[in-house]
Amino acid sequence: MKVFIILSIFCAAAFAEDYCYKDARRACGTKLSLDMKNCTAKYGAIERAEASLQKFAYHHFIRSFDYLLLSTHFANYQKNRPGFEKLFRDLSDNKWHEGIELIKYITSRGGEMQFNDVDNLVESEDGNFDLHEITAIAKALDIEKKMANEASEIHHRIWHKSVLHDPEITDYIEKEFVHKEKDLIRKLAGYSTDLKDLLNPEDGSLSLFLFDEFLQGNKLF
Amino acid sequence: MKSIAFVALLFCAIGFSSSNNLICNTPELDIPKEWVDMTHGCIGKMREQVLEELKASMQYMAMGAYFAKDVVNRPGVSEMFFKSASEERDHAIKLIHYLLMRGELTTNISDLIKRNLVPPVTTWENVVSAMKAALKLEADVTRKIRKVIEVCEHDTASNPSNNDYHLVDYLTGDFLEEQYHGQRDIAGKVSTLEKMMKDHGKLGEWLFDKKVQAGEL
Repeated sequence: MKVFIILSIFCAAAFAEDYCYKDARRACGTKLSLDMKNCTAKYGAIERAEASLQKFAYHHFIRSFDYLLLSTHFANYQKNRPGFEKLFRDLSDNKWHEGIELIKYITSRGGEMQFNDVDNLVESEDGNFDLHEITAIAKALDIEKKMANEASEIHHRIWHKSVLHDPEITDYIEKEFVHKEKDLIRKLAGYSTDLKDLLNPEDGSLSLFLFDEFLQGNKLF
Repeated sequence: MKSIAFVALLFCAIGFSSSNNLICNTPELDIPKEWVDMTHGCIGKMREQVLEELKASMQYMAMGAYFAKDVVNRPGVSEMFFKSASEERDHAIKLIHYLLMRGELTTNISDLIKRNLVPPVTTWENVVSAMKAALKLEADVTRKIRKVIEVCEHDTASNPSNNDYHLVDYLTGDFLEEQYHGQRDIAGKVSTLEKMMKDHGKLGEWLFDKKVQAGEL
């Protein structure tokens, strides 16, 4: 049975190589409008990953807006925390550009982008960005963990649940998200620890000034 | 068992209410407000405009995505639209920074951006139709900036009606300047592309894309 399955996969792969060629031969000499619908960049397991990659890309834009709101919040004259403003602006810019890169990646594998909050991410959350310094860091930490888990799910979907092995997709996810998220999550968790220790009644107010100053000079990425 | 949990809970409560409280609040501040002088109607218009710029941004994002597809394959045009998407986002951030500079955005921050901004159109017949849509989009943004200027120059929502000279100057000199230059650039490209395609259709479009990609247009 196994042999049969493997054989049939090989056969499918062998035929797949010929599909575009056949299309092209059939199209030659006919009307220009004839579709060569097998001549796409799609191969491997991209069709299994496409929908989740689209969601992942769209979530990047939502998160980019979340962080932009947090950055704005800490930049008003009452908050006046340029370090926190910079931290969240860096996160916002990063999510924005990674979102664009994800769209480019999807199209590089023959897919297309769908813009839609299919999981109702926006509505399922409280959407309050009027936060204190420590709760804002906490929110960012939660967001990044969700992002990391989403990347892992896409990886799992391709690695374990797809008949076709597609190391290109899993490698891309690892390189672009898995390791980077690990660093980011660790950094944010560290900030959370520091703030928890520093925000006592005696030091709290001045601590935030010093911590903000530290953030101004600190590189997140 | 229950009593142990209760005692534990009690200890926790005592622990938290002792002098080692985690202080998240910063003290109430008493900063004079006289300098915060933007008027209600004008602020509202500016906040709306932030969202308009972001909507335009996501529309450009959809254009970039469409022309990046392998079965469309216009990499130069796609990259141009992705760049426009980031530029529109930068405009929104510039408006936000202006409001912050004037002492605004201290309240209702969460309503400033609708975070789920789905672009209304996601496919185009060809590059010309997308470029024309882009030109219309820019014209619409320009019209809306003019509307912000009108309101801020003569804000009847405040009594007596107010002229926000500095903001009006900024929007006119900075934003409209960029809008008009941008619109002329797109209109010129539409003209070039339509002429390239007149007798040569797809060949013209393919060549246009390569020229855009090489920065030759």
